[in-house]
Amino acid sequence: MMKFDVVVIGGGLAGMTAATALQQGGLKCAVVAEGLSLSGASREAYTAAGGTLLAGDRVTGGTIENGRLVSIRTEKLGDVTLEARAFILATGKFFSRGIVADMQKVYEPIFGLDVQYDADRSTWFSPSFAAPQRFLEFGVIAEDGCAVRNGVKIENLFPAGEVLAGLSSAASDATAEIKKSALAAAEAARRI
Amino acid sequence: MQERFISANNFEQCQKCSLCETVCPVMANNPAYAGPKRSGPDGERYRLKNGIFFEDSLKYCLNCKRCEVACPSGVRIADLIQQARIDFARKAPKLRDLMLASTDQVGPMASAFAPVANFALGLPPVKGILDFTLGIDRHRTLPKYSGETFVHWFRKNAASSQAAFKRQISYFHGCYANFNYPQLGRDFTAVMNAFGIGVNLIDERCCGVAKIANGMIPAATRDAKHNINVFRASVAAGRDVITVSTTCTMTLLEEYPELLKVDNADVKGHISLVEPFLYKAIASGELKPVWKEGWKARAAYHCPCHQERLGLGIFTTELLKMIPGLELTELPSNCCGIAGTYGFKKENYKVSQQIGKPLFDSIKAAAPDFVVCECETCKWQIEMSTGVTVKNPVSILAEALDLEKTLELNRS
Repeated sequence: MMKFDVVVIGGGLAGMTAATALQQGGLKCAVVAEGLSLSGASREAYTAAGGTLLAGDRVTGGTIENGRLVSIRTEKLGDVTLEARAFILATGKFFSRGIVADMQKVYEPIFGLDVQYDADRSTWFSPSFAAPQRFLEFGVIAEDGCAVRNGVKIENLFPAGEVLAGLSSAASDATAEIKKSALAAAEAARRI
Repeated sequence: MQERFISANNFEQCQKCSLCETVCPVMANNPAYAGPKRSGPDGERYRLKNGIFFEDSLKYCLNCKRCEVACPSGVRIADLIQQARIDFARKAPKLRDLMLASTDQVGPMASAFAPVANFALGLPPVKGILDFTLGIDRHRTLPKYSGETFVHWFRKNAASSQAAFKRQISYFHGCYANFNYPQLGRDFTAVMNAFGIGVNLIDERCCGVAKIANGMIPAATRDAKHNINVFRASVAAGRDVITVSTTCTMTLLEEYPELLKVDNADVKGHISLVEPFLYKAIASGELKPVWKEGWKARAAYHCPCHQERLGLGIFTTELLKMIPGLELTELPSNCCGIAGTYGFKKENYKVSQQIGKPLFDSIKAAAPDFVVCECETCKWQIEMSTGVTVKNPVSILAEALDLEKTLELNRS
């Protein structure tokens, strides 16, 4: 078991924004990044502040007890779990498999969080390339900033960025929205 | 229904995002290399159709596996490239490549004549001849061979005292500790013994990474099968296999099943790098370290590419952070450029040094007492290129631990 103040799942724009803010604010963070969608300056700012980066690793599951996420497991660390007071889920949408669609449903693959999507698959996308695509709005549900599973809030798991329902990278102000949600999640994690 | 959309070919997970190209150290420095995406998943589509689409430029891949770390879709890009080289490269390995890769044969000879070999290999005319006749670059400082191998030292000085320890492990020392740097093996033995753990040698052969890189697949496969059988016997006797070299470990764990098709599933869970092994045992309270009072050092950690691919660098940093007197900074993640035998070759030397430059610059800027790194070829490259000493984490533990007090505490 390794202990951190905050563990961030996902090393994209949202994850690195949240983690860098927290690490620079004096908390001990770990980022688990499956794929380096952000590298260069953002990665260096985070590691220069002393943050731990588990590059190329993948979260395989977690232990949730009494409405709190206690620890997560990763592929590479095996039986060594990562524990933290708070977790931020910044795994993105379909491209980075933060949410996954099959023929019947849309789901969040790590924790099985509640996801907002249309039951009728025929409404998921529009055949017109230029039209707004419904599926880009799908994502995990947040209640008071917390993730929800089977209708029950997980009090210390905060979704941020594109994994959130309603936040689409196709929107014109997407970058600003992603950063805003990341800083909000970081603030919520700091208060725990 | 679902099966129709799932392919057995891992490369079809590639979404063409090109993240792999942004981290490829070769692509940035060698225009002759088409990059991981084109050489790996893109090229694979063609190669599956017909082997004539194999491109010779795949030899420029140094197999650092940074592309695989960067890939958000889990494509085994470097494996695809290595596999294609195994399947399609038609040229037989050159004499030089055979020599660089045959550590089990060249090592004993060079060790037997170490003073002569080291002296000769340091002479400019000899280096010039090697450059001209074999294509081993004259600018490269060649690794020193040790007059006494680690195995010889161990049999003479340590083997008889090991049985007294309650817990026993097998030590896969690798070619480097045996022929080039026996001090690492001695440090390993000292640290393990201090923790009350007995060290056993096994009838190991070279892990085979250099043979794989140089196209000697049948020989590598024979060695792999031999090693796995030796590990099975060790595990059956209740001894896990502890390794010190990052790249050997990656080869034993990943390349055996993926590239050589040698099954290791039954022993994989019993092979561990020394850093995760010690971190877990110390963190759980099973082993208790006593640190030397007043020991102090400033070190910078360079995570070798294959350590990053294994995802195990965190165990090294967390283990080293337990040492009270050690001030540890982490260097920005970069490849040192040597990639085993790659950087020794004349055609790669220049690119090899260009690739390493950002790392060398960051080491010079950090100006540490020494660099910490688990990898032996990184050590050659960094020491040659920066003049800064590189130490293996095990050697740092051997320095920082109060070995006698640690043994007292762990004996019971």
